[in-house]
Amino acid sequence: MSNLNAIQLSGVSKSFDGFMALSQADFTARWGEVHALLGENGAGKSSLMNIAAGLYAPESGSLLINDNAVRLSGPRDASRYHIGMVHQHFKLVKPFTVAENIQLALPEGPGNHAFSGSHRQRLAALEQRISDKAAELGFSIDPRKITESLSVAEQQRVEILKVLLAGARILILDEPTAVLTDGEAERLLETVRAFARQGAAVILVTHKMSDVKRFADRVTVMRGGRTIQTLDPQTVSVPELVRLTVGESAPASEYQPAIPGEVRLQVRNLRSKGASGHGALNGVTLNLRAGEIYGIAGVGGNGQSELANVLMGLPEPCDGTLELTGFGDLRRASAEQRRELRIAAIPADRYGAALAGELSVAENFGVGQVHSGRYGSFFRLRRKRLEAEAAEAVAGFDVQGVRSLKQKAALLSGGNAQKLVIAREFSRDPQLVLVHSPSRGLDVRATAAVHARLYAAREAGAAVLVISEDLDEVLALADRIGVMSGGRIVAEFDRPADRQAIGSAMVSHDEQDHAEPVAEGASHE
Amino acid sequence: MDMIANWLGNTPDFAVPFALAALGLILTERAGVLALGAEGLMLVGALAAIGAQLAYGSHGVSLLLAMGAAAVVSLLFALMVLVLRINQVIAGLALVFFCQGLTGLLGTLLEWTNKPVKGLAAVELWPLSELPLLGKLFVQNPLVFMTPLIVLAVVWFLTRTTTGLRLRAVGENPQAADAAGISVLGYRLAAILVGAALIGLAGGYISLLSTKLWIADMTGGRGWIAVALVIFARWSPWKALAGALLFGCIEALIPQLAAAGVRLPQYFVLMTPYAVTLAVMIWVASGRHATGNQPGALGIPFIREERR
Amino acid sequence: MNEQVRPVMLEQAAQAAKRPKQPLLSRCYALEIRQQLAWHWQAVIIGLALLLGLGVSAAILVAAGVPAGELLNEFVILTVFDAQSLKAVLFQASPMILVGLAGCMAFRAKFWNLGLEGQMIWGAIGATAISLFEVGPPALRLPLMLAAAIFCGLLWALAPVVLKLRLKVNEIISTLMLNYLAINFLLHLLYGSWKDPKSSFPYSPQFQTFERLPELFDGISAAVPLAVVVALLALWFLGISRAGLYLRFVDANPRVAGAVGVPVQKMIIGTVLISGAMAGIAGFLVTAGQEGRLTQSFYQGYGFSGILIAFLARNNPVAALVVALLMAMLFVAGRSLQVFYQIPFSMVQLIQAILVICVASSDFFIRHRIRRVQGGES
Repeated sequence: MSNLNAIQLSGVSKSFDGFMALSQADFTARWGEVHALLGENGAGKSSLMNIAAGLYAPESGSLLINDNAVRLSGPRDASRYHIGMVHQHFKLVKPFTVAENIQLALPEGPGNHAFSGSHRQRLAALEQRISDKAAELGFSIDPRKITESLSVAEQQRVEILKVLLAGARILILDEPTAVLTDGEAERLLETVRAFARQGAAVILVTHKMSDVKRFADRVTVMRGGRTIQTLDPQTVSVPELVRLTVGESAPASEYQPAIPGEVRLQVRNLRSKGASGHGALNGVTLNLRAGEIYGIAGVGGNGQSELANVLMGLPEPCDGTLELTGFGDLRRASAEQRRELRIAAIPADRYGAALAGELSVAENFGVGQVHSGRYGSFFRLRRKRLEAEAAEAVAGFDVQGVRSLKQKAALLSGGNAQKLVIAREFSRDPQLVLVHSPSRGLDVRATAAVHARLYAAREAGAAVLVISEDLDEVLALADRIGVMSGGRIVAEFDRPADRQAIGSAMVSHDEQDHAEPVAEGASHE
Repeated sequence: MDMIANWLGNTPDFAVPFALAALGLILTERAGVLALGAEGLMLVGALAAIGAQLAYGSHGVSLLLAMGAAAVVSLLFALMVLVLRINQVIAGLALVFFCQGLTGLLGTLLEWTNKPVKGLAAVELWPLSELPLLGKLFVQNPLVFMTPLIVLAVVWFLTRTTTGLRLRAVGENPQAADAAGISVLGYRLAAILVGAALIGLAGGYISLLSTKLWIADMTGGRGWIAVALVIFARWSPWKALAGALLFGCIEALIPQLAAAGVRLPQYFVLMTPYAVTLAVMIWVASGRHATGNQPGALGIPFIREERR
Repeated sequence: MNEQVRPVMLEQAAQAAKRPKQPLLSRCYALEIRQQLAWHWQAVIIGLALLLGLGVSAAILVAAGVPAGELLNEFVILTVFDAQSLKAVLFQASPMILVGLAGCMAFRAKFWNLGLEGQMIWGAIGATAISLFEVGPPALRLPLMLAAAIFCGLLWALAPVVLKLRLKVNEIISTLMLNYLAINFLLHLLYGSWKDPKSSFPYSPQFQTFERLPELFDGISAAVPLAVVVALLALWFLGISRAGLYLRFVDANPRVAGAVGVPVQKMIIGTVLISGAMAGIAGFLVTAGQEGRLTQSFYQGYGFSGILIAFLARNNPVAALVVALLMAMLFVAGRSLQVFYQIPFSMVQLIQAILVICVASSDFFIRHRIRRVQGGES
């Protein structure tokens, strides 16, 4: 392997609104290698790579390409230096066709000048090039399809084709396997490894140890905006890599077996139409008992968000019933009634569905109970009492970084914002707890704290439903696991569950499209 | 019979300002900029056209100056929404009020108010103009005949050129466009300027070719109707043209009814364009007619290094 | 393999490095969102923006023919320090306060109520109807007129808010269209059945003495305390009652508000109706207080003023009182400029628009930080 460096970032710093996202980060990738950039959420991986792709301007530090110092004035400039990045959130124009999306990204030059030849002719020529390139990489893509109608994996392939056709030789992939099934991920990583072997440089941003161990030639570990170390993944053990990424050994919470009580929530045959026309929910059926944690695992985009919305009473048109024992169909309950019923909801999108970032910590805490009259009648809101209780809860739930109760909730870190949501939702001793991706974007300690709260709720007799795309989280938390695929629960497992079996159930939908939706023994009808 | 012929003949004259303003709005909004300022920019175009006509007396120059004046004023809007990232609704409203104040002031101070100017001679499209009933449709001023061509040009630009593709990308997903190396602010600025020029032309048409004089606030809400028109045309130029013809029909009917001696309460008749706008908006919203097609990033300011 | 790549890469990198293109300004300075800025800095920034707006306005006035030395005289001395003018300002301020509060209310509910003029017109029509048809005994006439004004203004705001919530009809357009309907209906009445038979002008008959707002003391109209009472009610609603907290959530993020148990729809409808009712009261104040009859253009300038007052006051009722007073000064001064220097009244609207633009722009400096980044150095 050559020693010539493809791209070298040294001493790079970048801050956002006083928050230091990167401090003195160094990173070097060589031609011909797959170089993994490993770290937890918020470690600064994406920020560093956005600088390499010309999207962010660094505050200090230097960028060398082929050992020449360069300065990128924007993504187009990066593309001139043959750098291409596939972002975690795809940068695709949804109503456009595949070919149109790719044409946008191509540099202007002979054959692709805005005023040369007819638009249609150039598009037709491009479609041919796309098909050829796709065949070369082993993808099958119809360049005339509207991007919106493609699956996530297909959209990702479009992104890769886009940067490669634009001439990228330094390929940056930001969390490419997060949205893929195990099989898809494997195929993708094989492809990019082959690409690197042809002499290109591939940078693989990830937080998955297995990707690193199996596909990376070298790995650079990031933590808290700093690059910690660059190693050969074959010479380090997984526990050692984990220690490097989290900086401390992950505290394993002691698992106590559940003592489930009566069935508290019966979900019957939920169906909904997804945005793209094919069903998002295709008959979800499950039972949730008091005193247990039911985990829903699955590859992202198999109906989890829609299910979470329906359960939490967020706008989501669908058919079917949610039978809450002692109440009836939960879907007819207003948001106020749900609070009266002591139902706690912890949505995945913290600032989109749980907290108003512009408003204060106290207001965000208190609003959940205002309707009950706890803080005075309609005519007079007892702010003093609200603030006193907010202060109590902030201390009780260990929400840190609250300088004043009047401080905007948006200024809290992810973990503390999540703790604030939990403080509000758990303030009335919930009987039913609905949780979606509770540890998304949280560090190890915050995740452990959140998990401890969920266990405490279970011990107090609540029925807890956790939807998470992170299989490790579901395995760690749940007493029972339902696997979601193609908009329904395709299998259920009791603890201790077999990881392999769950993994194959997660992708089973593709092969057995006609399988019956779980003939579970847990059916209480 | 005569009345219907006259009515049809007058329709294009009323429809053209709606069509041109809607086209300008579509261009701007397809780039993701919510353009509520049409009413104001039309006033600027209208005043500039009359002023230029009084000074130079050439219709072509006057209309060009109307376009230029609206484009220049729209720079203020561009500054507000592109550079200062002011909420686009507030910026649009502020622009309308600014233009109303400015044109009212200048119209009086420069003494351009209520001074009639000569219209533009009509052109006959022979032999179509000899058709029974429809003949008068083809005796119009040149700008009427140019309007469908302008629509065609806009459609061609948006759907058949790479620049148009980029413009739509900027309106749909500016982050994607930016990552692809397209200058989001550059395209948006261009879209605002060109859109404003078309809206200014619409205003110039009203003052110079329709009413042939300037009165303060003479557009009377037509800019707002154009905004509504674009919403129910779902940002499609052809549908906007059809909608403009509908409103042209309604406006052209009012004087015809009066001339024919139909006695209707005058002020209720004057309400019709506004009532129809409301009715059409409700109709479009209540049915499951064409929804979607709204530019994905309409009204959302763009900043590259945004991070929450 | 690498041997093939290297020379190509090197060549291209070298080529690119030679390009004379300078980095864009945007790369020397990065723009980022700032979450919080100390309030005194905010005040300084807004103050500077207002000064800039006033400076530009003054320049325009001078260009339009007002002697520079007279500006201060016209706008401050003659409006505040002259007892007669001060009364005129207070008188003018009362409907201003009401439309300003109406704007505050609607904006708190995230509703662009551009229909203040239409609601005002209907308020005035309602009040005038009570007078014309002599409803109720004379002692109750004024309260009845007020009630009618409230009811009519509220009703005219009902359709757009319901249409927005049920059908997602854009309220900016619907309220504006309803304004045009209201204006034409007003003209229909004034040129038709409601025309004063004693005169040829398009206005309604003069109200009787007991139908006009009395002067309380020292020539101060009852409109002034009425406006202050409404402002206090607004302050209670937004600041003390539960509704204030709910509305803050509706404004910040309706989706979150719904999820945490705020009755979003009820709050929006209720608040917008209150907004309409306040605009209706403003119509009543102008007709029963200032004009003494329904006239054809009494509403002009109030719609924009209401929005402007709410915007400058950041939807705060107390601040709205102050801003409304300043706007009233501007109106009074504008009228005297009209008389003494033949400057059209549009000047007032232009100045208002300039102030809005300047203050809106100041928000940029409050919410963003511009910082030098490395891209700019050589």
